[in-house]
Amino acid sequence: LEPDPVIDAYKPGIDVTLLDENLKRTVEERFRGLEAMTRLHEAARLARERGGVPGSSGPASGVVR
Amino acid sequence: VTDQRALLRLLVQGDVRFIVVGGVAAVIHGSARLTLDVDVVYDRAPDNIERLAAVLAPRRPYLRGAPPGLPFAWDAPTIRRGLNFTLTTDLGDLDLLGEVAGGGSYADLLPHAAQVAMEDLRFLCVDLATLIRLKRAAGRPKDLEAVAELELLLARLRGRGPA
Repeated sequence: LEPDPVIDAYKPGIDVTLLDENLKRTVEERFRGLEAMTRLHEAARLARERGGVPGSSGPASGVVR
Repeated sequence: VTDQRALLRLLVQGDVRFIVVGGVAAVIHGSARLTLDVDVVYDRAPDNIERLAAVLAPRRPYLRGAPPGLPFAWDAPTIRRGLNFTLTTDLGDLDLLGEVAGGGSYADLLPHAAQVAMEDLRFLCVDLATLIRLKRAAGRPKDLEAVAELELLLARLRGRGPA
């Protein structure tokens, strides 16, 4: 692959420890990680829609941060 | 929310010939990025189109982003008339690609795919170097960081990654 300076500019900002951890995992484990992230993303989306956070007893005034 | 595993299982159980590309392929290769759809390149052979039509129809596929109420029928003639479909389904978002930029058709990609085993599922996934090539060819600004991550993964797998 030809080096691309624009793509290379992103590399210092990438947490390679996460990549190294993932490379130690099986495909199944990596996929389960994706499923967990998807569930978290969906919970955050629903919380934003409701104006609260998951598990809160009432409407919240703020935005999920 | 997309159930990536259920979408893949549906295609596998329907004996559809496909190759996983895109974000799910990136995760399979070790990416830490979230992807909310499943992208596959499917074989355009007539028997495969019939299977794709049959297996997805009960999942109410519809054109993603299109206004509701369009006379869109998910069947083999529709697939034959089209090529690439970005769909919503009951199981989430599914991109069906008859051809992909930088990679061509299912037959073109086949030499660059390997079987992945995940629990009881077996399917083809594009190899990491080809995935990088596809994402570069797509040329989308949002992919730049993803490509950078994939290139770091490839470098580490080849044993010449930065410490």
